[in-house]
Amino acid sequence: MSTLSVSRLSMPKFTLWRAVVAVIFVAGLYATYARFALGFHASTNLADAQPWGLWVGLGTLCGVGISAGGFAIAAAVYLLGFERYRPIVRASVLLSFLGYLTVCTGMMYELGLPWRIWHPIFMWNRHSILFEVSWCVMLYTTVLSLEFSPALVEKIPIPRLRDFYLKWHHELLIGLVLMGAVLSSLHQSFLGGLYLLAKGKVDPLWYSQYLPTLFYLSAVPAGLAATIMAVYLCTRSLNARVDPGILTEMSQVIAPLLYVYALFRGIDLFTHGGAARIFAWREETGLFWLEIGLFVIAPIILLSQEKIRRNPQHLYFTCSLVVMGFIANRLNISVTAFQSTSGFYYVPKWTEFALTLATVTAAAVIFHYAVLYLDILPKNRVHEASKEDVTWMVTPNLIGGRA
Amino acid sequence: MPRTKAILIDITKCIGCRSCEQACKQIHGFPADTEAHLSPTALTVVEERGDRFVRRMCMNCQDPACASACLVGALKKTDLGPVTYESSKCIGCRYCIVACPFNVPQYEWSKLVPYVKKCDMCYARQVKGQPPACVEACPVQASIVGWREEILEEAQRRVLLDSKYVKHIYGSEEAGGTSVFFITDVPFEKLGFTALPSQAMPILTANALGDVPTVVLVGGSLLAGLYWITNRRKHVALAEAQQATDYTTSTKSERS
Repeated sequence: MSTLSVSRLSMPKFTLWRAVVAVIFVAGLYATYARFALGFHASTNLADAQPWGLWVGLGTLCGVGISAGGFAIAAAVYLLGFERYRPIVRASVLLSFLGYLTVCTGMMYELGLPWRIWHPIFMWNRHSILFEVSWCVMLYTTVLSLEFSPALVEKIPIPRLRDFYLKWHHELLIGLVLMGAVLSSLHQSFLGGLYLLAKGKVDPLWYSQYLPTLFYLSAVPAGLAATIMAVYLCTRSLNARVDPGILTEMSQVIAPLLYVYALFRGIDLFTHGGAARIFAWREETGLFWLEIGLFVIAPIILLSQEKIRRNPQHLYFTCSLVVMGFIANRLNISVTAFQSTSGFYYVPKWTEFALTLATVTAAAVIFHYAVLYLDILPKNRVHEASKEDVTWMVTPNLIGGRA
Repeated sequence: MPRTKAILIDITKCIGCRSCEQACKQIHGFPADTEAHLSPTALTVVEERGDRFVRRMCMNCQDPACASACLVGALKKTDLGPVTYESSKCIGCRYCIVACPFNVPQYEWSKLVPYVKKCDMCYARQVKGQPPACVEACPVQASIVGWREEILEEAQRRVLLDSKYVKHIYGSEEAGGTSVFFITDVPFEKLGFTALPSQAMPILTANALGDVPTVVLVGGSLLAGLYWITNRRKHVALAEAQQATDYTTSTKSERS
């Protein structure tokens, strides 16, 4: 996808990454057709024993969780005065905004009757955790769009309109960031709260009355890790200039957050009796250790090495482990934990993968263009790009295709 | 809580004739084919367990998990007892199916406009004073309907007077109590009944929901307070820097 950076310099060309993106979009289009013209049965492997599958587990739970970086960094900079992170505020807010748009798009596929998506605005059930989640997500997506809006508005060529908007925006910004932090804290944890009601259906390795707390504690490090990854890729292939020291400092925040999560999770497993199962050999146990290994053990060991924290590329790799471990955790809760109690073995249909992949790819492409054409991150000055520069930028291994 | 209706299913009496299934299908306009399990076109089924027949249907819980899960309030516990589903509100999120401890709600996975299907104890009929279609169709009165306390008393009477019965009424306390009771002479676990705690399911989420005002107020004011400190520090730092420059400029001018 990053080959698109060439478009400014030359005519669009056929490249490997463009081909990959095109294939993903075509597959996504077919999945769209299958979902809306043929229905759930043709487009998913969902059943009453597994009513929420990949679209919820990966699309919604991971989409929202990985987008936690936006509220954390905005709050750190604007409310707590960590000016150090100011250069990456916009990038992290954009990442979150696109993450939430991905979630909202996914919701249109996930819901059986998506044209009624507005119902929760008027039809209330305040005993429902999902009701709270839906309101928080609606409000927070609005907050994110407002937080991000100056990046677009400042490009409006009408100075009076532009300045008027930016002046008001400046006045309201602190309120928005504060609202964002509170709304995020609520729904990040309530996504875990959704599973409280399914006690008895969720394997004890994952069920806990503290699921909301665990979801919150895991989302923040995952969101920060995703932000590090995105910023790193921008410096690597989109000509952004960010002091690598910022990423190192962020990683020094991630490690203690992972410690806190590990400690809480451990204590919780022992007090709830889930601990009896961590060495009993079952498929679930294997997936549990995969999750713990990727999300907790490996990153904690790696981040304790000064060498790794100081090397952006190694840091990127470590953060990708955190994100993968986070995804493993959410998929374990939403799929593995149910399968062990229902006996129903759910393997997502290819169209389920295709759709989720297509929405994430779309977000990555938009992120890419936004970083190129808007002022998202500080940039290196590009002097007239020579032919060599162009070739350098299209070399596949330098491209953000791993995003 | 007002008086509610309940159904008692006596497994020792059921002869497996499936009249209840047929009556249910007829009243809902479903195809008459016999189905092995609950489905969107079979809201009650008679399942064979050894030499016993176990009828499955929505338990119409006293404090239903599905109704607390439903974000738009499409599922409701009515004053009369049945848990009803208002399809015009449903958005198809399927949280009710995730939440139900009895695995009752069935989704129309193969339809383009899919709804949730479950038994509502023939609410429309009961409002008019008629019994549920399945109960009415039962030739041996294995299923009976009545006011919940009276039905519960009847179940207790049968279980106490006849030693063949297992000394438990399934549904009297499961998941906080239901509107459908089962009594049997074969242990429940052998008939495929899930053992459930007597706590009503919605209590599991009530605590988390109760934390909302605290998070909003405490979290919000904490962050606002921290912002105030940050802001104040910035102002102080600015003022000090200003003073310092004023001082240096003034001393310089004095010297010159």
